[in-house]
Amino acid sequence: MSGNEHNTQEELASYAMQNLPVEESASIRAHLQTCAPCRDELSRVGGDLALIGLAVDQQPLPAGARERFMNRIASSAAVKPEVKGPEVTPISVKTPRRGASFWTPWIAAAAMAIAAISLGVQNRALNQELNDESKLVKNLAAQGSKAQQLLEVLTAPSAQRVTLTEGKVPAQPSARATYLPERGGLILLATNLKPLPEGKAYELWVIPANGKAPVPAGVFRPDAAGTATLVLPSIPAGIDAKAFGVTIEKAGGAESPTLPIILSGAPG
Amino acid sequence: MPDKTSNPIGDPERSTIRDAGLGSGMAKGATAMDDGTLLERVRQGDQNAMAEIFDRYGRAVYSVALRILKDSGHAEDVMQDIFFQVWRNSDSFVQGRGSLGAWLVVVARNRSIDVLRRRKPTDSVDDVVLASSSNLASEAEHNALIEKVEKVLQDLPAEQQRSMQLAFFEGLSHSEIAERTGDPLGTVKTRIRLALITLRKAFQP
Repeated sequence: MSGNEHNTQEELASYAMQNLPVEESASIRAHLQTCAPCRDELSRVGGDLALIGLAVDQQPLPAGARERFMNRIASSAAVKPEVKGPEVTPISVKTPRRGASFWTPWIAAAAMAIAAISLGVQNRALNQELNDESKLVKNLAAQGSKAQQLLEVLTAPSAQRVTLTEGKVPAQPSARATYLPERGGLILLATNLKPLPEGKAYELWVIPANGKAPVPAGVFRPDAAGTATLVLPSIPAGIDAKAFGVTIEKAGGAESPTLPIILSGAPG
Repeated sequence: MPDKTSNPIGDPERSTIRDAGLGSGMAKGATAMDDGTLLERVRQGDQNAMAEIFDRYGRAVYSVALRILKDSGHAEDVMQDIFFQVWRNSDSFVQGRGSLGAWLVVVARNRSIDVLRRRKPTDSVDDVVLASSSNLASEAEHNALIEKVEKVLQDLPAEQQRSMQLAFFEGLSHSEIAERTGDPLGTVKTRIRLALITLRKAFQP
């Protein structure tokens, strides 16, 4: 597709299946924003693809899957409170006793005074709660902003990355991994990597201390300057790492590392 | 532009529990709630409504994830996350974007491919828009649909089947399919286009 030409059916199918490179996907997305016929066609292609998914042989759910799901939503119910219908106070109709009319205005006034005091107390409590929540939101926003800045600095293509070496030794390929096992959080900054042929990528591996198979921790390709970053790839939490390694794999990643190991290192 | 015939993936407002026919707990009673009503109840925090949706579509979502990931643990993770997303944010599914069941299946496919390729969830559920037209009115119609889809897919030339499978179940791009099969890129594109045309034609009214 180029310019204002419509997307072809196979382009839209690849777009719907999210199988396109980022740039191509962005180009189609931009075209879709201004082209109603292509949006309509995309929805039809989506329907066609759903048919393929629906035709997959139905498998039984793993034992306990439903229970696990129900427990999960039950434990989150505190966050998502159950919405109840408005409380309705039944109105009882009674015949007033003789003489009650004398007390009625006083009772009403007393009730209003009690209600006003009660509302005042509630109002103060709510204001306090609101202030507390505002402070919390501000704190979270400040933390979020800082985290965002950190990520932007780490991952911005325009960021300058400098490897400092002793004397006039030419910079060698190197990478620095920062890893938090209990959260499965990892940041990798690599520099001076050699360029790779089309269809290949570097892949980071976590080598577990318990001797189990290396765990893939994300694929990446260096930019023209040989630098690459890998920020918070999807790694299961709780893996104690004996070492880290980087290998060259196909662009989509591999199930197990292919030798040779290009870079490796162990936690200090 | 290709022809504009729609497929039978329908409008959620007309999607009844009978048409779903996908879950292990499929109800057949006339009083069953439609997806729209269930989602509205989920929006209000009704856990029973969420359980109903899980029962209705859990197997379909899990089956797609399992087919792609070939690992029951990972497939269940994908399934649990998708339904939990519906629970936490039922607005993820916008009515008018096709039936809830089909939408869940497509989201399950996309999430599973993300896991398979070890990439961060693309999370573009906004992009999942499915054509709405007629709907599956009964379990029998649903089964008939599945049979028909299976037959159409089986009758495709082997190369077309292979290309579609690599694209749909392995998430490969046209170039990657060409690399994998050794076929020219143009041939791969043509095969996928022809497969889609055949599938759509099979469901022309």
